[in-house]
Amino acid sequence: MKIVVCIKQVPSAGDAKIDPETKRIVREGSKSVLNPFDLYAVEEAVRIKERKGGEVIALSMGPESAKNALIEALSMGADDALLLCDRAFAGSDTWATSYALSKAIEKIGDVDLVICGKQAIDGDTAQVGPGIASKLGMMQAANVLSVDAVSADSLTVKRMNERGYDVLRLKLPALITVVKDINFPRIPTLRNARIARKKEIPLLKPADIGADPDKLGLAASPTRVVKTAPPAVRESATLNIAGGSGEAAAALVNELSSRGLL
Amino acid sequence: MAERHIEGYHVEIIPPKQDSQKLEEDLALFASKLTRIRGSGFMASITDNAMGLLAFQGHECIEELGIDIDPDKILIHLNTFHTKQNLEEILDECRKLGIFNLLAISGDGSTRLPKLRPEDVDATGTASVTSVELTRYIRKRYPEFNVGVAFNPYEPEAHEFEKLKRKLNAGASFVITQPIIEKNAIVDKLIEMYPDLPVTIEAWMSKKLYLLSDVVGYPIPEDAEFDPIGTLKQLEKDYPQCGFYLSLLGFKTQYPVIEEMAAERAARE
Repeated sequence: MKIVVCIKQVPSAGDAKIDPETKRIVREGSKSVLNPFDLYAVEEAVRIKERKGGEVIALSMGPESAKNALIEALSMGADDALLLCDRAFAGSDTWATSYALSKAIEKIGDVDLVICGKQAIDGDTAQVGPGIASKLGMMQAANVLSVDAVSADSLTVKRMNERGYDVLRLKLPALITVVKDINFPRIPTLRNARIARKKEIPLLKPADIGADPDKLGLAASPTRVVKTAPPAVRESATLNIAGGSGEAAAALVNELSSRGLL
Repeated sequence: MAERHIEGYHVEIIPPKQDSQKLEEDLALFASKLTRIRGSGFMASITDNAMGLLAFQGHECIEELGIDIDPDKILIHLNTFHTKQNLEEILDECRKLGIFNLLAISGDGSTRLPKLRPEDVDATGTASVTSVELTRYIRKRYPEFNVGVAFNPYEPEAHEFEKLKRKLNAGASFVITQPIIEKNAIVDKLIEMYPDLPVTIEAWMSKKLYLLSDVVGYPIPEDAEFDPIGTLKQLEKDYPQCGFYLSLLGFKTQYPVIEEMAAERAARE
């Protein structure tokens, strides 16, 4: 089974800044991490490979520094990684990004399954996965919380809904987006991390994947960001409660109650 | 297996972080520190995802790099943020390497770290796994390991001593304290209550004393002056029977001084 897992490098949750002029996320100088939801996608892809055989290819789009996210995916067990990296991709919204990634998946060829995290924590749109499926004409299931069966031509999954879950059988090739309940992502071993860092990660330009440059980048992106703002910083603090154990326990209960936590 | 006593200097070293951008360089540094500590005859204390930050495990760094070690002079920290499979792998690999000194701690978690479940360590009647359950499990399943535990003199006294009792009942055989910077009445009481228990005192070797604010439970001003070496010397006078755990030790400037102090101590003895 050939599995492509689409991942994104995002600013660390505590490190995100927004340019007040362009209203876009300032990525330079901020710590970047692999989008947390994509960890679950990588883990699920590797688990399916371990059960059924095949290969896992991690795919991303971004600046060269996004290689770090791909290295993490390789460390977790992906076999190969590709990075769409060119100025022509810059500024792409979910529409243009879906197009670029779908062209890369077409170029990879014979892909049975595409797995994405349910959304990226920077844009929070949850549109790219379904967008890729739509452009590739694949069956899709978003918010998958378990992959129950995998056969040569189908995939049975549980899809989360407001009341519980639906059980779906998808004909392959298909795309799923996964939620964090699906698994617990492994922590790479040192050996795998060292091998991953030595692996070559090809940088692909639009021409390499047969993409039309007019459908990429800011100019080809119909989304217009009108307003953005960083979330309020949540302060943490240590509360010291004096007194004997009974007195302190009562004070703690009062404190938690007053904050609506009990 | 004869019980090993933990004494002398313990030098804390932190394995390379998982997100290291210069992993090979960091591994080389880790190896050189470990080799230097071995050469000095000190105990190397290797942390386990300290502060919840993902790092490689000490045993895998030793194995992968083929670092020559004196297993009796290695102390591996082991916290409760692992899967059962990870836990067994760590214990099996340590055993293969001949490393039998462990420090069982509850540890700091993060969203990226799993947490041992009570059933993973055969614990009943508890909702979560602490160093008590971890110690009991290791001592029961891997009795050849010498397990140490932490002692926090800043916690409410009765609570901390009661917890220590449970840790010792679970099979712990030595204690490492949280950092103290002067003679401490609770540590004195610990030594008095358990005269045969090997106690290692953590000495804070960073000049940034304010980083201890969360440990001690009150704010320490950022500009508070602190002399780590002078403090260590005083602590050695106050607690001549104890070992010293040196956290955040500077390898360039402080380490040679520590070596001299160890040589002087050896000459005296």
